[in-house]
Parts: sequence; structure tokens; C-alpha cells
Amino acid sequence: MRLGVAGLLVLLLSTPLARAVGQPADTTDDWGDDSWAEESWDTTAESGPRWHGFYEVGLGGRLADDAVLDERLTLAETRLRLEREQYLGDYRYSLKADLWADGVEHGLHGRLREALLSFSPSDRLDLRIGQQVLTWGTGDLLFLNDLFAKDWVSFFSGREDGYLKAPAATVKASYYSGAGANLDLVWTPRFRSDNFIDGERFSYFSPLTGSNVAAPDGHLQPQRPEHDLDNGEFAARLFGRRDGTEWALYAYRGFWKQPNAVDPAGQFYFSRLTALGASLRGNLAGGIGYTELAWYEGEDGSGGDPLLPNDQLRLLAGYERELRPKLTLGVQYYLEWLQDHAALAANDGDSPYRPDEYRQLWTLRLTYRAMQDNLTLSWFSFWSPSDQDYYLRPSLSYRFDDQLSLTVGGNLFGGDQSHTFFGQFEDASNLYARLRYSF
Amino acid sequence: MYNWLARSLVLLGAMLSNVSLAADLTDVDEIVRRANLAAYYQGADGRAEARMIIRDGQGREQMRQFTILRRDRSDGGDQDFLVVFSRPADVRNTVFMVAKHTEGEDDRWLYLPSLDLVKRISAGDKRTSFVGSHYFYEDVSGRNIRDDQHRLLGSDERFYLIGSTPKDPASVEFARYQVWIDKQTFLPMTIEYYDSGDRSYRKVEVIETETVQGHPTVTRSQVSDLRSGGSTRMEFRFIRYDLGMEPGLFSERSLRNPPREWLQRPH
Repeated sequence: MRLGVAGLLVLLLSTPLARAVGQPADTTDDWGDDSWAEESWDTTAESGPRWHGFYEVGLGGRLADDAVLDERLTLAETRLRLEREQYLGDYRYSLKADLWADGVEHGLHGRLREALLSFSPSDRLDLRIGQQVLTWGTGDLLFLNDLFAKDWVSFFSGREDGYLKAPAATVKASYYSGAGANLDLVWTPRFRSDNFIDGERFSYFSPLTGSNVAAPDGHLQPQRPEHDLDNGEFAARLFGRRDGTEWALYAYRGFWKQPNAVDPAGQFYFSRLTALGASLRGNLAGGIGYTELAWYEGEDGSGGDPLLPNDQLRLLAGYERELRPKLTLGVQYYLEWLQDHAALAANDGDSPYRPDEYRQLWTLRLTYRAMQDNLTLSWFSFWSPSDQDYYLRPSLSYRFDDQLSLTVGGNLFGGDQSHTFFGQFEDASNLYARLRYSF
Repeated sequence: MYNWLARSLVLLGAMLSNVSLAADLTDVDEIVRRANLAAYYQGADGRAEARMIIRDGQGREQMRQFTILRRDRSDGGDQDFLVVFSRPADVRNTVFMVAKHTEGEDDRWLYLPSLDLVKRISAGDKRTSFVGSHYFYEDVSGRNIRDDQHRLLGSDERFYLIGSTPKDPASVEFARYQVWIDKQTFLPMTIEYYDSGDRSYRKVEVIETETVQGHPTVTRSQVSDLRSGGSTRMEFRFIRYDLGMEPGLFSERSLRNPPREWLQRPH
């Protein structure tokens, strides 16, 4: 950890951040009455690439002890993000790299968040090749047809929302017909799972022991699909817009993003998943209305094998509107309909942890902006009437100026039972703060 | 013969009024219509780079820099906008797209690069801050001229003075506003907003104009919040009209992959 911080400092001194910090914060003389200096209009395209990014310090801790994890901190890191992008002829490259010293998962870590080459081989075709983050679908923090990798550890520990999406090495081809329907094809040659809760930073419920487990003994290390072209992931989206209404059809072939299958030896692994779906989104009664549907087809077509996930039908309906100036409300209803529930019930040895046939979820988002948009108060909650559990995400962020911002918030879990989706994370409940300097 | 002469005179009058040499207009709706076209519909399309400096009541400053593309579907009618931010760092590469409708609600999207997320945002209140500045969305894309009753209050050598009151007072924060419209260019040069106590609380002023490809264009303006003492100054540069933008430019493609061809500075 100490070495990590020293390394970061060395890196810092050699970056534009050091120079930026060295300048007085109010170098806005070029914004004065008559001196709109020509050079200050320069953007990347005009003056060559520049380094951008941020430097951030984050700290968060549990509200209560976790009996199986003796770490009280859930977030303790100092992070440097560096970004650079440039056109080279008709090709654009973009690099985003993170370097952080982590006091929870001890050590200095580095990760390429984006290493991307994009270009248009023809008028109607865009290609994006390389490490990248991808998102589609209509849900707000609920994903049905978006089967791109998520980082739940970052999400639960209070890192910025952007870190919910995990990067993957991917080829994305987008064909725009100019009218009617457009097509996205995404190929991820090597399966990229979610960064799931594996017992390192947060403990999880194990049906084998009937209690929460954590690293080292309970460190969830599933078997991953072999690196084989046949084990790559394919995702497709056919989409368009008619008047103000957006429609899309989706398809995915790959694996469940979480290891929810168990082999006879008791080893967790990622089983096959094929998904098909559709969505609609448009203006509705002064707000935005949307709905999305997905069919998840797993390996256990008859549902009788308790060690394999059953097929599912997933359904979402959402609505968002401004209640009054600066105050936005979003409500979503989400349903997970487990297929062949009777077959599962007949074969799981009367498991007390058997999921319900219908898992229902309501989410509520309230966002209030004040002080010339410098202050944002945000509330997001998941509440499941079927699982009787919840996950609350209150946060407050304040922008001191164009560089410095502070975010404080919480991730609060709870439920009636210790094995349900959110209920199992009760001891992961935490409060956090992040101070960021952007450049 | 007399008829022919009369028609010719009418035609001549129409031609002259097009170049603003005619006698004063007295039809307030015509003045407002022309002002709307002059301020928001120059050319069939346009691009500009914009910077805003936002100063709060305590004198603290922030800035925004973006490139804005606009295409008119019809003059005085529906329009498409694409706004690509380059500064400050925390909004860099964020893209905002609006399909503005004169009938019905606008369509609005936001692209957040950190999540690769195309977010649909509700049309909402158009009289709230545009990206933290003292400008409202409506100041940037234009207020529907049919939302207010307009009256010609007077005129002098340079300006028409128009008084406007909202048809639906509950939908806006002002009780009335006054606009000084330049008789030559038809650009609204000063707008003053009054609250229900008839106190002036907000002022939009044009500081500088320039003629670009024959279109008188506002290049510097300022909004002042007279209550808080805060203000935002906006400057446009690298303005070009009639670039031949296609309707398809204003699509999800441009949100995810901002169109370099139109964003780069014209030479």
C-alpha cells in the first residue's frame, strides 16, 4: 500500500495534473471582457491530443461488522485516471487507463478501461475495436437485454456509477441504413463475466452452508469457459426510431454473467445462455415511458435440474418525469418469471432457499438539482415485495468548481431473510465519500 | 393598367420589406415571427462553437464549451440540435440531442460516455438552467412564439418594443416580458422578464452581432439573474450556415459517435 501511494505520486508528478495543480485555480483571464484568446478555444482536434482524467480519493466503511470478513473498510483508494484520444487520419483512438492504490484489496492496481480504435469503413458502417464499455437497453440500473459485463463490486462499494459497467475486449459493428432499421453486432471473443460478489470485499450467501461466506475459504472462484472461439459472446441489436418512439430487438448468445450453475463436484461455473428480447421507449404523458422484455433460455430446458438455472422471462416497465423544475421522479416495475418452477420444486430436495416463481422488484429514483446545478441530491431504491428485501442508494454530490467535486452516499441493504438477492448483503451496507479533481 | 401598377407596388413593397428598408411594421405577429426566424432559423442548418462563462452571485466562475449543430426541418417549425461538450473535463464528450417540435413535446437524449449510455430524458421544464448556466433551454433553442400573447408597445428609430404575456401563466416563472427587436436585423437585442410583483428579475442582452453568410448573427450575449447577481456570458465562434446537413445526422449514431465531419472547425 505504501509502495502504491509512492508509485502514484511519482506518476502524478509526471502528468499534466501536476502542472494543472500548479496553476492557480482561477486562470480565467482569457474569459475576461476583451481577451477571449484564440488559443483558449483549442480543442483536441486543433492542438493535438491532451491528457485528461481525474485524481480521486475514496473512503467508505461498513455500518456494522460482517461476521465472516474482518475488514471494516469497503472503499479505500486513491485513483488516477488518464484519458487520451486523437484522430489519425480517419481513425480515432481512445485510451482510458486507471491506476489505483487499494487499501481494501491491498496493492497497486492498473486497468485499461478503454483502448479503442474506431473508424467508418463505409458511409453506413461504424467499427469500434478493442477494450470498451458497452450499454444498450432501456432500464435504469436494471438490465434485461444488456448482457455486457457489470462490475457489482464497484457498484456496491460506492465508486462512480460509470464503474458499474466493466470493460471487455470487443468488436462492435454498427450498420446505419439511413431509414428504418439499424443493426449493431457485438462480438466478444473471450467470455467476460460480471465482476460478481465473490467474498473478497463483500460476503455472499452460500446455500451449501446456509450462511454468508467470504474469502479465503469462501472465495468464489468459478470455473470459466475455456478460451475457445466457440465460447465467445455474440450480441445483436436491431433498432430504429419512428417519430419520437424508439424500438429495438435484441439477441445474445453466450453465458450467464454470474456463476449460477454447479457441477456434480460442487464447482460453480458459467452455464450457457441464449437471450432474445425487445424494447420500446417514447414520450408518455409529459415524461418518458419504456418497456422491455427478455427471454432467457438456459441449458435446463425442463427446469428439473436444481444445479442449473431455469429459463426466465424478464419484464420491465418504467416511467420517468419531471415532477417540478429540477426534481425528477423515475419508477420501474420489474418481473423475473422463473419457468418450470414446479419441476424445480420437485427436484431441489425441498430447498429452503428455492427462489420464488415470480420475483418482483420496484425501483424509485428521485433526483433534485439545486444551486445552479452544482448540488445534486439523488435517491435510488430497489424494493422487492416478493423477496421482502431492499437496496437503497442515497447520494449527494457537490461541484465546487469545474475541477473539484465531492460525492457522499450510501449503499444500504436489508431484508427479512438472509438468502435473498439483496438480503444477503445486509452486512455490506456502507457509507462512502469521494473527492475528485478532474483535469 | 391601374391594377397592374398596384400589384407592382405591392410586390415592390414586399421586396423592400425583405431587406428591411420598408416603413415600420405594425403587425406584431409579423414582427415576432421575423424575430423568431432571425434569431433561431438562420440558413437551413448551422454549426457554431460556443463558450459560456458562468458567474455566481459570489463571483465564482465556471465554464462550458461545446459545439452545436442545428438543422431546420422547416422555417419557423421543427428543428434538430446536437450539442457536443468539450469542457470542462467532467462533461467532456457528453452529447445532448433535441428534436424540437412546435406541436407536442420535444424529444431529448443525453449520451454519457463513461457508461456508453444513451439516456432518454423527459422534455420537462424548458425554463430551467441549461447545463448549470443562467441560460434556459428555451433561450438556446427558442421559445414557441404561440405560447405568448404579443403586443407592440412602441418603437423608436432602432427598435420595436414588444410586450408579451404567457397564455398559460402556470407553466412559466415570469408574469410578462419585454423584447427590444432591432428594426434592421430583427434580432431580439434585449429581453427583460418581470415577476408577478412586476419587478424585473432577469435580463438577456445581446452584446455583439456579426453578419455571417448574409445572416445577422448574435456572437456575444449575456443573461443576468438580477436577484442573485449571477450571470452567464456566451460567445459563439466559427459559425457556418447552409452546410448541407442530412436529417439522419440527428440520430443515435451521432450520439454514440459524434460526427467529426460537422464538428471540426471549418477552414
